[in-house]
Amino acid sequence: VLSSDEGATLLEMKKSFRDVDNVLYDWTDSPSSDYCVWRGVTCDNVTFNVIALDMRGNHLSGQIPDEIGDCSSLKSLDLSFNELYGDIPFSVSKLKQLEHLILKNNQLIGPIPSTLSQIPNLKLLDLAQNKLSGEIPRLIYWNEVLQYLGLRGNNLVGTLSPDMCQLTGLWYFDVRNNSLIGSIPQNIGNCTAFQVLDLSYNQLTGEIPFNIGFLQVATLSLQGNQLSGQIPSVIGLMQALAVLDLSCNMLSGPIPPILGNLTYTEKLELNDNQLTGPIPPELGKLTDLFDLNVANNLLDGPIPYNVSSCTNLNSLNVHGNKLNGTIPPAFERLESMTYLNLSSNNLRGPIPIELSRIGNLDTVDISNNRISGSIPSSLGDLEHLLKLNLSKNNLVGFIPAEFGNLRSVMDIDLSNNHLSGPIPQELGQLQNLFLLRVESNNLSGDVISLINCLSLTVLNVSYNNLAGNIPTGNNFSRFSPDSFIGNSGICGYWVGSPCHVSHPT
Amino acid sequence: VVMIRRRLGGPGSSPPTCRSKCGKCTPCKPVHVPIQPGLSMPLEYYPEAWRCKCRNKLFMP
Repeated sequence: VLSSDEGATLLEMKKSFRDVDNVLYDWTDSPSSDYCVWRGVTCDNVTFNVIALDMRGNHLSGQIPDEIGDCSSLKSLDLSFNELYGDIPFSVSKLKQLEHLILKNNQLIGPIPSTLSQIPNLKLLDLAQNKLSGEIPRLIYWNEVLQYLGLRGNNLVGTLSPDMCQLTGLWYFDVRNNSLIGSIPQNIGNCTAFQVLDLSYNQLTGEIPFNIGFLQVATLSLQGNQLSGQIPSVIGLMQALAVLDLSCNMLSGPIPPILGNLTYTEKLELNDNQLTGPIPPELGKLTDLFDLNVANNLLDGPIPYNVSSCTNLNSLNVHGNKLNGTIPPAFERLESMTYLNLSSNNLRGPIPIELSRIGNLDTVDISNNRISGSIPSSLGDLEHLLKLNLSKNNLVGFIPAEFGNLRSVMDIDLSNNHLSGPIPQELGQLQNLFLLRVESNNLSGDVISLINCLSLTVLNVSYNNLAGNIPTGNNFSRFSPDSFIGNSGICGYWVGSPCHVSHPT
Repeated sequence: VVMIRRRLGGPGSSPPTCRSKCGKCTPCKPVHVPIQPGLSMPLEYYPEAWRCKCRNKLFMP
């Protein structure tokens, strides 16, 4: 009798969902239909009570029915990745057996019901990527069995309560991308069970508390807030850190050299702050480091050659600082590196030929520095290169013909240097070249060879000493006169070009 | 209790030792695993956590 009640409850629930794909077609009231074999339904082997409903990713819309509270044996309810709207019904709190409640990626509105705290065995609560509003109910925090709290991507407001550290069994705490204000609770270090603490992309203010150093987290994500003050040196003692992201805040003062003790850290993101002083050579001790980003700060001094000891480094970004000195030739040891951005600093000296030996590079941006000398022809060996930007430097000499070997390259920007000689014929081999900018140099010769670059969409050769006719074939006419101005000897196809009028019919 | 002991020992953390965390399976080593919190755009890196790994199995540290 109890069992048939559950079937009837499920059928009532079905009425609340709008099931555009008819995924619940086998939820029917025909006498032969056993609800325990209905799609998404799992029953207990003995009692035949429904213990799990898994309806994720079924394009269901409509509201979560109040009848859900009548499935009193439910241990797991997963309605994620649907288009459900409306509130989370209070009746969910009647599910005293519930361990997993997964409603992420829907359109749910309203507050998080504080009555969810009445579910005694709730281990996993994932309400991420909805439109939930209001404050996080403090009662939620007084739960010793909750292990996972996913609230990212909602419209939650208010402050973080010191009570959050009452979650003594919780390893995952994620409130990323909400509208939380106030400061990080001073007692944050008491959250010793946390392995992931993600407070990123809120409006948190104040300083990072010293007590953060008592956390045992592997991921500390505080980026995208308005945190100020210095980076506490105590963070350098948190050797369990795999990911440390403090980017996009208002942090000032130096990068603590003790961060070099973070032996197991893979991602260190300190970009977009107001950090001053040098890049500490101690960061060279981070031999597991995969991604180092200190871009858009006020850092000065040289790039320490010690960084070349971070041999697992895949991505290095120091863009937009006041770094001086030269590019360390020792970078050739960074064999895994695919992304190198040294742009918008005060770097001097030549492009070391050693860079050409980092065979995995797909992006090299050295633009907007004071780099001098000629372009090493060996850069043509970087066969995986997609993007090369050497613009706004003091480079002299020729564009290497070896650039014709950059088979994959899509963007080449050599503009605003003192380059001379021709645009090498070999560039015509670059079938993936989308953007070529060489404006404001002293280049001579013609542009004929570029007609073979069939993917070329953005071209600027203006303000050089180029001559000859601008071809019109192969869609070359897509380029406006602006691409060519400032070359007295060049002959355009358009009306008004000097040589156009000089050859009357 | 754990918390108080750590406080007396000062701040800081270290990777889990994974001693006897993999049941009878050996060797049991700490590893980073990415945690996928659900689809979100733009897709950034996932948070990472420590797990104890023995052959193909992961265990809570």
